[in-house]
Amino acid sequence: MKTIFILARRDFMSRVKRPSYIITTIIGSLILIGLTLIPPMLDNLAHEENLTNIELLVLEQSNGASFVPFLEQTTGQKEGINIRSARGKSEVEAYALVLDEGLTGLLLIDDSSFVLLSPNSLDAGLHNRIEAHVNEAFVRFNAAKLGLSHGDMQVLFQRISLDVREISPENGHALEKSSGAHEQALLLTYFLLFMLYMALILYGNMVASGVAEEKSSRIMEVMVSTVKPTQLMFGKIIGVGALGLVQFAIWVGSTLVLNPLAKGNFSSISLEVLLWFGLYFILGYFFYASIFAAGGALVSRVEEVNQVITIFMMFIVVGFFVAFSTFDNPNGKLSMIASFIPFTAPMVMFSRVVLANPSIFQVIASIVILILSFLGGTWISAKVYHVGILLYGKRPNLAEIVRLLRD
Amino acid sequence: MSLVVTGLIKRFRDITAVDDLSFSVEEGSLFGFLGPNGAGKTTTMRVILGIIKADKGKTMWKGLPFDQMEPGFFGYLPEERGLYPKMRVLEHLEFLGRINGLSRIQASKKTLTWIERFDLGDLRNKKVEELSKGNQQKVQMIGTLLHEPELLILDEPFGGLDPVNVALLKEVLIEIHQRGKTIIFSSHRMDQVEEICKDIALISHGRLLLSGNLKEIKRSMGRSIMRISVEGNKEFWTEIPGLQPIIDRADYLEFQLNELINPNDVLQVAMAAGQVIHFELVEPSLNQIFVEKVGAKA
Repeated sequence: MKTIFILARRDFMSRVKRPSYIITTIIGSLILIGLTLIPPMLDNLAHEENLTNIELLVLEQSNGASFVPFLEQTTGQKEGINIRSARGKSEVEAYALVLDEGLTGLLLIDDSSFVLLSPNSLDAGLHNRIEAHVNEAFVRFNAAKLGLSHGDMQVLFQRISLDVREISPENGHALEKSSGAHEQALLLTYFLLFMLYMALILYGNMVASGVAEEKSSRIMEVMVSTVKPTQLMFGKIIGVGALGLVQFAIWVGSTLVLNPLAKGNFSSISLEVLLWFGLYFILGYFFYASIFAAGGALVSRVEEVNQVITIFMMFIVVGFFVAFSTFDNPNGKLSMIASFIPFTAPMVMFSRVVLANPSIFQVIASIVILILSFLGGTWISAKVYHVGILLYGKRPNLAEIVRLLRD
Repeated sequence: MSLVVTGLIKRFRDITAVDDLSFSVEEGSLFGFLGPNGAGKTTTMRVILGIIKADKGKTMWKGLPFDQMEPGFFGYLPEERGLYPKMRVLEHLEFLGRINGLSRIQASKKTLTWIERFDLGDLRNKKVEELSKGNQQKVQMIGTLLHEPELLILDEPFGGLDPVNVALLKEVLIEIHQRGKTIIFSSHRMDQVEEICKDIALISHGRLLLSGNLKEIKRSMGRSIMRISVEGNKEFWTEIPGLQPIIDRADYLEFQLNELINPNDVLQVAMAAGQVIHFELVEPSLNQIFVEKVGAKA
C-alpha cells in the first residue's frame, strides 16, 4: 500500500508541474465560466430587444369599419408599442413621416390585406411582434363584426400557462420541480456529462501514454524488478486519477465561486448532483484506466498508443451519445440497457440519476456492475501488463496476447 | 552458498535462451558472470529476479525462494539503462530509494552521500534528460546500490563508461564487496573481471561451461602457457612439429602447450638455437580460457 502511494505520488507530482497541465487547468476554468455566462448574456440581449419601442404609423386605405381602434385597444395596455393614425395623409406623405421621425414602419391596411413598409425590413423578430399584435387586433375586429359582446370576447381571449411537473415512479407523488428548474437541471447535467466524457478520454489517455513512456524510456525493467506490476499499475491509475480530481475540483470550484458573482446559470448546483458526478467519475475512470493501462503496455513508443486505445475511445463516445439521448427519454430501453454495460454505464447512469430518479435498485446494480468490471478489468489488465511491459518491437496481435497470457 | 540456481530453463518459442543452467554464488562474493554475446546472461538475470518466469528450475537465496524476500534486498542494473527523463537527479534517486524501502530521510541522506561519491553534486537539480549518457549511467548505478542491498546484480556495469569512471566504479564495487555484500555482474571484458573477481561462471548458448573459484579454474587448466625468448632467433620453434606461437611479442613468444609437447624438449631446442633469455610456464589468462572454452563449444 505504501509502495502504491509512493508510485502514485511520483506520477502525480511529475505531471502536476507540467506547463500543459497548468495551462489546461486555467483554460478549462475560463471556458467553463464562459459557458455558464453565455446563456444569461443571451437572455439579457433578447430582453433588451423586447424593450425597443415600436412606433407604428397606420394608414387605412379602405372606407369600411375602421381597424385602428381595435389595434389601439390591443396595444393600449401593452408596453413598447405605440400606434399612430395617419388618417388623411397620402401613402408617400405617411412614409416620409416614418423616415423623418425614425418610426418603426408604416402599416397599410386595405380590407384584410396588411402591408408593412419598414426601413429595416430584415428584423424578423420585430416583424413577428408586430404581426402578433395585428393578428390579435384582427381577431377582436372580426369578433366585433360578428356581434360578440365584451364578455364573450373576454372568455375568448382567456390564456392559460402550462405547468410541467415530473412524477417519480417510486412514490407516485409530484416532485417539487417547476419547468424552469427542470431546464436548469438539464443544462447542468449536460455540462457535467460533457466533463465526464472529457475526463474519461483525457485521463484514460494519460494513463496509457504514461505506461508507454515508462516502456520507451526503458525505466520499466528497473521498476518491475523492484515493485509488482500490479502495484505499478495501481500507482499510475491513482496518481493520474488524483490529477484529474484536483483539476476538476479547481474547475468546479472556480465556476461555483465566480458564477454567482457574475449572475451565471448554475447558481443552484446541488451537492447531491456533484457527489453523483464524483462517484461516477471515479467508477468510470478506474474501469477505463485499467484497460488503458493494458493498452499502453502493449506498445513500445508513446506515438503508438492511439492505435491501441482507439477502440476503447469509441466506447466512451458511444456512451456519451447514449447518455445524451437519455435527455429525451431517461427511462427508455436503450438508456436502461446502457446503464448496466460497464463501458457506457458511468455516463448513462449518471444522467439518469440526475434527470430521471431511477429506482435505488437500478442505481446500486449499476454501481456493483462497475465495481466488478473494474476488478475483472484490473485482473486481465494486470496479466497483459505483466507480459506486455517487457515486449518491445512489433506490437503483438490478439492471438499472441492470448498465448502469452496462458503461459 | 547463498544464491543457488538449479536446472533453470527458459525458452522463447523455438529458441532456448537458458538451457538447464545450474550454478551457485557464495555470500559476499564478487562474482563474474561471463559469456559471449547472446549466451543468455541477461535472460538468466531477468529470470533470477523474477522479471520473467522460468519454464523450469528455481532460484533460492539462503534456502528461500526469491519472491519471499524483503523488498529492496537486491539491486538490479539492467543492460538497457532507463530513468524517468523528466525527473530531476536528486528527486529521482530519492524516489528509487523510497520504492526500495528507505524512509524519506534515509533516502535523501544516502542520495546526497552517493551523489558526491560519484562526482555528480553539481548536476543534482538537473533533469535526467539533460545529462550525458555516462552521467545518466552513474545516476542509475547510484539508484541500484542506494538502499544497500544484500545482493547486487549488474548487467554490463562498465559498458559506456570512460576509463576514469570505470576505475571509480571498480573502487566502489570493491568497497561494497568488503562490506560483505554479494555482487554478481556480467561482462565481456575479461581483463576487468580478472582484476576484481574471485569467482566466475562462464556460459555459452544458455549452458554452463565452467564455474567456481577463478584461481582454481586457472590451476585446473594447468600451466599450459609457455613464454620463451631466444636472443637473435625467432624461428627456433619450427624444428618442433605441432608447435605454433599464439602471441608474437617483441620480448617473447607465447605458446599454447598440449599433451604432445613437453616443455623440456622445447627448452633444449631453444638452448641449441641460441642464448635463452626468457623461459616461463604460466597459467592461461581468463581471456584465453574464454576463447578456448567458447571457441571449442562453437
